[in-house]
Amino acid sequence: MSSPRFPIPQGTLDMLILHILSLEPAHGYGIAQRLEQISKSVIQLNQGSLYPALHRLEQKKWLKAEWKQSETGREAKFYSLTSSGRKQLVTEKDSWGRLTQAVQLIFNEGDS
Amino acid sequence: MIKQLLNWFRLRHLETNLDRELKYHIDRRVKDLMLSGLAEAEARRQASLEIGGIAHVREEVRDVWLSRWLRDFVYDLRFSVRSFLGSPSFTVTVVLSLALGIGATTAIYSLVDQVVLHALPVREPERLVLFDWRGYQATVNAFGSYNLMSYPICRDLQQQERFFEGVLCRARTIISLSMGGEHAPAAAEVVSGTYFSMLGVQPAVGRLFTNDDDQTPGTSPVVVLSYDFWKAQLAGATDVVGRKVLVNRYPMTVIGVAAPGFRGIDVGEVPSLWIPAAMSAQAIPGFGNMQNRFVRWMQVLGRLRPDMTLATAQAGLQPWFKAMLDEDTRREGYPKITAERRRQFLASTLELTPAPQGHSPLRRTLSQPLWVLFGATGVLLGLACMNVAGLFLARGSARGREIRTRLALGASRGRIGRQLLADSLLIAAVGGSIGIVLAPAAIRALIAFLPQGIGPNALQSVLNVRLLLFALGVSVAAGILSGFAPALQVGRESLMSSLKERSGTALGLRLRRTIVTAQIALTLILVIGAVLFVRTLTSLIAKGPGFDTSSLISFGIDPIQNGYSPAEAARLIHRIHDQLRASRTTQAAAIAFNQLLTGGSWNNQMTIQTDQRITTDREVRLNAVSPGFFSTLGVRIVAGRDFVERDTLSVSEGAQRVALVNESFVQRYFNGRSPLGARVGLGSGPDVKPEIEIVGVMANISYRGVREEWEQAYFPVISGGEASGGNAAGNFYMRIQGSPKAALQSIRTIVRNEDPTLPITFFRTLDEQVSRSLTTERMLAALSGSFGTLALLLSLVGLYGVITFTVTQRTREIGVRLALGATRLATVWLVLRDALVMTSIGIAIAVPSVWALGRLVESQLYGIKPTDPATIVTATLILCSTALGAALIPAYRAAAVNPTDALRLE
Repeated sequence: MSSPRFPIPQGTLDMLILHILSLEPAHGYGIAQRLEQISKSVIQLNQGSLYPALHRLEQKKWLKAEWKQSETGREAKFYSLTSSGRKQLVTEKDSWGRLTQAVQLIFNEGDS
Repeated sequence: MIKQLLNWFRLRHLETNLDRELKYHIDRRVKDLMLSGLAEAEARRQASLEIGGIAHVREEVRDVWLSRWLRDFVYDLRFSVRSFLGSPSFTVTVVLSLALGIGATTAIYSLVDQVVLHALPVREPERLVLFDWRGYQATVNAFGSYNLMSYPICRDLQQQERFFEGVLCRARTIISLSMGGEHAPAAAEVVSGTYFSMLGVQPAVGRLFTNDDDQTPGTSPVVVLSYDFWKAQLAGATDVVGRKVLVNRYPMTVIGVAAPGFRGIDVGEVPSLWIPAAMSAQAIPGFGNMQNRFVRWMQVLGRLRPDMTLATAQAGLQPWFKAMLDEDTRREGYPKITAERRRQFLASTLELTPAPQGHSPLRRTLSQPLWVLFGATGVLLGLACMNVAGLFLARGSARGREIRTRLALGASRGRIGRQLLADSLLIAAVGGSIGIVLAPAAIRALIAFLPQGIGPNALQSVLNVRLLLFALGVSVAAGILSGFAPALQVGRESLMSSLKERSGTALGLRLRRTIVTAQIALTLILVIGAVLFVRTLTSLIAKGPGFDTSSLISFGIDPIQNGYSPAEAARLIHRIHDQLRASRTTQAAAIAFNQLLTGGSWNNQMTIQTDQRITTDREVRLNAVSPGFFSTLGVRIVAGRDFVERDTLSVSEGAQRVALVNESFVQRYFNGRSPLGARVGLGSGPDVKPEIEIVGVMANISYRGVREEWEQAYFPVISGGEASGGNAAGNFYMRIQGSPKAALQSIRTIVRNEDPTLPITFFRTLDEQVSRSLTTERMLAALSGSFGTLALLLSLVGLYGVITFTVTQRTREIGVRLALGATRLATVWLVLRDALVMTSIGIAIAVPSVWALGRLVESQLYGIKPTDPATIVTATLILCSTALGAALIPAYRAAAVNPTDALRLE
């Protein structure tokens, strides 16, 4: 924990989970690890907030869950994206894109 | 929210899965951390730290399943259910008291809703207005109803497009209808061509009337059937359009069926079919006044334009209306009236009243009694809630230990208050459900109480959404009301004081005393109301109609409706009369133009000529009867003579026109002098010629109803069918021998022999008729009586509960008193004094309230004032003896306390 890590911005965790699951189904621990790897440990995930988020997304029918054998041979709860979850991911990515663009525009304005 | 509720049912399953899921996470993490070189214990510690504590995560995930308040609420409910199942007798008592209150309130509300509140099932009913003539109408009232106008005025109003999107007019009538077979009476609405389009009612089959169906009188013999009639009488035949029907023997064609659920604009009179106003002469035999501006017979309703307010429309109409009045006075047919009357006529205004519920005479007569009953059920429900609150308080004291423990363990006061509220809401929900299940039966029972003149299917006993919402609202309100006091008590109690034994209940007891006092006050009000209504009914029954109703029957025939000319009809009626008199089952038979005791009458002002000429200051109730009418009914002739056969001859046959008046008439207009020989005339204008000689005075009898005492005048039925008196009077009154059934049999035979197509209507005994005319009074007496009894029962339980509780609390004190030498009698008095104080305060509150509330019911009473001292004393005595009874049992128990036992109690 030498370098400072950013906490995940409010509201983006759902989107990140959806994105990771759009690549392949995964269990909770897998998602946590994947987040660490991809973000090169820049982002700090509070693992405790992962599970409420997963259950919330499942309740919204954006995820479905299934108990399957994991790579270690034990049964684990695997989450995967539903079609409405896929749609949700597209909208969220889209609005995220527009938000960052807008923020960038504002920064550029200040620079010039 | 619904999903969350569903989650509750599979909570256990969810919990196990979550545990597995979290365990997997931790195990993997531990393994990974161990691989990186940590010892197992350290790894496990760190894994748990990273996730922020398993318990915490579990709690957060649970919040996703069920939001926190919902979860707490569900726990509360579960806890409530368990504790209620633990004390079944308590539970049954409170549930039943609430079920009773909620069921009764829902049932009465159903009638209030249907009769008074319910808007017509038409497009935007809130824009409908009813036209009403304020002032002197100077015209002939052709129908015994309210808010009447002429057809041409309706036509004029249709031109006022600035204010109205549409204007309709309608009159109700009973026709003789044949679908090809039997002729049977059917309710019909005679309507303008604009009727359906203005209301926005669609056809279920075929088409509905348009303006083309209502143009030249007599040219559009078409009818529209009601959906209910089509389903019931024609089994919903698909080929109904084009069928021929006979309306008063006149052939007409069915062009369509109106939308289901549309039952006309009068809740009390459901029409089977609609007939265009252009056919009014056929629909209402002998009526040819459709185009006459001076005959009022229809109600006129308008639909305001969306941007138009009632006030603007009303103000905007006046110039046109004034011009019309002015023009009317110059028109042909304008009645000859005095200058004073003429001035009154010209000063008339046109008034608009909101009419989203349509027009209904039933509403006029029933809405007040219904509101009174609704108020009474509301009070009853309040009493039930108070009882439940009292019981909860008692239970709260008993549960004091549990509650104190919870408080000591750190439960917030609000949390415990909420628990108690959950208790009462649960009870109310169960009670409400039972109430809702019971309501339809109660509504049916109520409808049976209502005047039976109401058309078939007019009122329904089914539960609809509005009613369910109402019951739900009432249940929730009842729950909150019953739970409020106990919750409040918890809120006030401080932890310290509640940990000390017994203190803290003082507040609960005071609250319960207040509740019982209020109950006593409310009960006394209900009991006084009940006594008032019961005495009204008994004095009306004791008064009776003024003649002996035993073995007296009546029935009607209407030959004119079956196509007879007035002269033919009069001859037919005469022949039937003769045969009836000859029948073995008949003691005496007579004819009247108008039926008695139906609420209707023929009215007009009269001019009286003695040594001076006066006009009656109000309309006199009039009737035409055959000779022998008074002897058949057994009405005493007080002075002069009865009608004789000679009186029924027409003037051209040399007869003298004569009349009988009743004692009230003499009292009001003759100042103790004899009226015999005085001359009278119908009407009040200067052109009225008083040519009719008063030849007799009869005792007062009831005409419109048992309640009314009014001036009456009777004329002989003129047999020749002469225009002035030659109405086809078809109402027979017979004193019979043997059973009414046998009499009906012989009447049927006689009428069938004369004309097999002529229906016999209104066959009933006069006993039945009297009791029918008292239905509203009977309903009020029976219901207020049962409400009063229930209220007494409820407050008895409340009082008993409180006194018993006090005695238990004061056992030690009583023991000390007894040990110190107090007598048993003094002990009884000690307890009774408590009851006496509550009862007296209750009475002190109730009696002034009765003074204030009395005005609301005054018009429903007969022969008694709402503040009648005897009634108040009677009701107070009933209440006091009940209260005494309730208090005596615990008082004797107190007196039986054994001092040694009591002192050992601590």
